[in-house]
Amino acid sequence: MSKKTINIPLGSQHISLLEPVRFKFECENETIVGVDSDVGFVHRGVERACTTKFKYDAIGYVVARICGLCAITHSLSYTVAIEKLMDAQVNSKIQYLRTLLLELDRIHSHMLCLSHTAESAGFEAMFMRIMGDREDIMEIQELLTGNRIQFDYISIGGVNRDIDSQRAKEITLRLRELEKKIYGYIEEFENNWSLSLKYKGIGRLSLDEAYKFNAIGPLARASGLAIDVRNEIDYLPYKEIGFEMQLHTDGDIHARNSVRLAEILNSIAMCRNILEGLPDGDIFTKIKGKPTGEVLVRYEAPRGELMYYVKGNKTAMLDRVRIKTPTFASIPAFSHIFMGENYADAPAILASFDPCLSCTAK
Amino acid sequence: MFKKFRKKSPWILHYNAGSCNGCDIEILACLSPKYDLERFGVINTGNPKQSDIFLVTGPVTMRSRERLVELYTQMPEPKVVIAVGSCTCTGGVFRDMYNVEDGIDRYIPVDVYIPGCAASPELIIDGVVKALDILEKKTKEREKPFRLFKDFTLKDGIVSRRESALRIGDDDAKD
Repeated sequence: MSKKTINIPLGSQHISLLEPVRFKFECENETIVGVDSDVGFVHRGVERACTTKFKYDAIGYVVARICGLCAITHSLSYTVAIEKLMDAQVNSKIQYLRTLLLELDRIHSHMLCLSHTAESAGFEAMFMRIMGDREDIMEIQELLTGNRIQFDYISIGGVNRDIDSQRAKEITLRLRELEKKIYGYIEEFENNWSLSLKYKGIGRLSLDEAYKFNAIGPLARASGLAIDVRNEIDYLPYKEIGFEMQLHTDGDIHARNSVRLAEILNSIAMCRNILEGLPDGDIFTKIKGKPTGEVLVRYEAPRGELMYYVKGNKTAMLDRVRIKTPTFASIPAFSHIFMGENYADAPAILASFDPCLSCTAK
Repeated sequence: MFKKFRKKSPWILHYNAGSCNGCDIEILACLSPKYDLERFGVINTGNPKQSDIFLVTGPVTMRSRERLVELYTQMPEPKVVIAVGSCTCTGGVFRDMYNVEDGIDRYIPVDVYIPGCAASPELIIDGVVKALDILEKKTKEREKPFRLFKDFTLKDGIVSRRESALRIGDDDAKD
């Protein structure tokens, strides 16, 4: 630090932050020239507890508590890992129901991020509008699973609640209403002049940088890097239900918002396809045995790739559970984007990353 | 003037002491149009020195406990602490993990406990309304006259203002 620069801390408790994270910005006049981040405030030791405190059939509900936003992805990744270790097959209805909830979760997470970005740019009315419409998705989730945030929907060998035709009809109806509102947001985010001042050309990440800094999720897709685990895995029937990768080339905050909005539309279309063509079958398959061997499972959480490594030893306690979360992989890219930006834009840029620190610190 | 309107516009300070974000999103959802906590005059503020109600989520992790106590001491009297979520009340699913301190009432006094994983917005609103009553009670308690030097058996003869003023209900028993 030289005499010309000023150090400004952001966090660990700040009005624009949902979670405790600390950024130290080194500023020269208004411009940020150095960033130091500290993400470990919420470390609880879940990985350790998974191997010492809980048995393998309870861990699915424990890892869901790592993160409230992508809870379903965590428990699904773990469950699929255990099912692979026990050589179990689940029928296609279970897979479709799991995918349905995964996509609903993605919609509500992306809407939260969009509203938060709008608030950090000073557009309070947009924040309220999106948060109000987000309640539709929360009600759909409550209808489907019985809880708003921590669903506990997925169990080893199946799902915990069935869906009947009346519920499916209501969910389809509500999703159609939501779709109209999403088109309204796209109109607003594309054409609002004062939002374009805050978003266009700010927080830019080029394609080369995205590749170099190992960016994943919507952050990478906004820069044009075609990375999406949904395109690569075969445990869930994404190709049958009409998954399309959403790409943008600009790499700024506006591009990230556009990618998120396009993904919401794609997710709504996928949910509709699932509800239309839901096959018959049981919602639970009985699985015998104890997990043995090791396995690696990847899924696309709302923020990017989530990786689970599970090692079992034929007893009820597992040997190792390793979780690699999306935000953890994106931190180098975050720190790079902040360089050369105005300090006043820092909260909006940070919100556009959609960071999840309780995932990162576990 | 301030005392009269304190109940009508309490300001909230929200701190995440290591929760899973679930309760934080629900607090945010409370402020959104459907539940609209702001109809009680509540504003979410980032500054501890201007706030009356302290909403804490999460089992206290080792690193966040110092910040938690610091934020609590920076808030002006009278103040109310609300523990949102099962893990804030008791530790919940994170109890006995090596980096977790099993609930916030080990460190700061809690007035309202809100259970649930994640605590639903209806419960949070209910808790905040209860906290408003407690806030009013605490405000009245502060207005009561009290003797500064009431216990001469103490060695230095000084009783701190906090000891005598903040106790609700049982201050007669101490005399």
